[in-house]
Amino acid sequence: MILGGMFIKDDPIAKVLDNLMKFDDILACMVARRNMISVEPSGGTNSFKPEVIQIWDEVKRAMEVMFLGISECKNIGKIDFEVYDYNALMYVFPDTDTAIVAIIPSLANKGLVDVELERARKKIQKIREDEEKSK
Amino acid sequence: MVEETIFSQQIAHTNNKDTTDVGETKSPVKASLGVSEKWDAREAGREVAETAIQNLTRPPDFFLLFSTIHYEKYGGFQEFLNGVWDVLPKGTPLIGCTVPGFLNNYGCYTIGATALAVSYPNADVVLGVGKNTKRDPKNAANQSAEMIKKGLANSQYKNKFLLNIVSGPETWKIPGEGYKKIVDSGFWSKFATLAFGISQYLLQKGSGREDEIFEYLVQKFPEYYMILGASMDDYRGISNYQFFNNKVLTNSLVNLGFATDLDINVCTTHGMKRTNIKFEITKLSKDKHIIKEINQKPAVPELLHILDWPEGFLNEKTMYNIIPYYPISFKRHNREVPTIMPGFLKNSIVTPSVIDVGEVSILTISGRDMINSIKEGLQNFEYIDPEFGLFSTCITILTTLGSKINLIQKEIIGHFKQKPFIMFFSAGEGTYSPERNLTYANISFNTAILGHSK
Repeated sequence: MILGGMFIKDDPIAKVLDNLMKFDDILACMVARRNMISVEPSGGTNSFKPEVIQIWDEVKRAMEVMFLGISECKNIGKIDFEVYDYNALMYVFPDTDTAIVAIIPSLANKGLVDVELERARKKIQKIREDEEKSK
Repeated sequence: MVEETIFSQQIAHTNNKDTTDVGETKSPVKASLGVSEKWDAREAGREVAETAIQNLTRPPDFFLLFSTIHYEKYGGFQEFLNGVWDVLPKGTPLIGCTVPGFLNNYGCYTIGATALAVSYPNADVVLGVGKNTKRDPKNAANQSAEMIKKGLANSQYKNKFLLNIVSGPETWKIPGEGYKKIVDSGFWSKFATLAFGISQYLLQKGSGREDEIFEYLVQKFPEYYMILGASMDDYRGISNYQFFNNKVLTNSLVNLGFATDLDINVCTTHGMKRTNIKFEITKLSKDKHIIKEINQKPAVPELLHILDWPEGFLNEKTMYNIIPYYPISFKRHNREVPTIMPGFLKNSIVTPSVIDVGEVSILTISGRDMINSIKEGLQNFEYIDPEFGLFSTCITILTTLGSKINLIQKEIIGHFKQKPFIMFFSAGEGTYSPERNLTYANISFNTAILGHSK
């Protein structure tokens, strides 16, 4: 996976990710697809919390495998996999092979995180739809 | 009329958030919702108040405010309240608290603030407050009860409602070990049950004791309809706050007393089912908050044996992912009290409420049971056209369902249509009515709807 997403000034999607990064339990988040991180938070990967760096290579490799599954099976909504003491949550945008991905500690309260990731997915989806309409 | 005109002008400048559909009505009851997702405390306070009152044509008679804990780090709760009072008319009765999340007509939020502003001429409103709830719940209940009684003594309205918000459980930080749900080893485990009692009295850490406060208030106001919720943070159990007018409180009880000609009903539903796993509680601590022995054996090892769980199966990592789904049907004064076990102290089990010795059952519940439970609860209100509603619901339901909580929102909106409601998630909840008596439970929906009989 290529590390390094797109940096667009005042990117509304990056702002959604910035708000997610304010959660104590969200250690990293991005919008990604196979072989690419599409959008990172405004601070890039520097805004990821330090403990993510140790597991980042493993998470990237696992995400590649997951994205393969997402592109093969169109009805996958969410994927949750564990790496050491962390979970990577992938919320797929409907009818796409792109997902919002968040890394959280395994001890995090997943129900509360799920509510906010779902809200973020909907916000980003709306931004993407509005961008499509304005083209 | 002059007062209404001035009020309308005051709110004319507010941001036009898309909250205009909810609460629009020709009824004399004006009830309106506010929401903010802002992270800055002062801005969020302003926005939640603006959006709550922008649709009212009269000043609110009361203002209920719920917020998630994150403002503690993003400006503080006094700033949050200051933001609310930048907008809210002076003298508006306000109570509220921190919650792990809330659900209303607009969706479910685990970050943000929501408010319900109600204006109705045929009602009397009074607030009550009691302090030091964990140290002396009876005294706290008495303090607030005196204010409620005095405030509504001359009310001409026969239907009375009491909203009870109590400071919820707080885990104490064990020196050298941090915040723990299981204390099974180390120096402190030797003194665990003694330390629990001392910390509750001296430090006001431990169980919220909201069940005890509720019992006292029911004794004081047997003719009232009541709903109870215990405030909490984001399920970590480290801190929680209550709001009383312009004050931010801790370890407090705050009450809204509402006497009105509106019809009122409350009920509790939970959807839990009994399993065939039973046992006998044979020894409790003096304050009846800790189970010391089950079947005349040390409680924790015996519980693990009954459930056929190996030693070490429950630990800090697995505790909150497993134990809430094995609630127990305890007994209290011959009432059934389904609750979860929030912590283990060496070989003893902490319960969130006061319980009695005797036979108990393990219960079970699924996500589907939870959703069916709210449907069942709403059926009790089919004879009322709601004007506004409050739901005090267990945090475990939110953590279990996650974003699927929108299925519950759909059920409620089906009943409320355009009328506003707030479901606030709590760490201990219940209802009381003269017809159904007191119900205290975990993993439950507790519904209060005020409106007009059909």
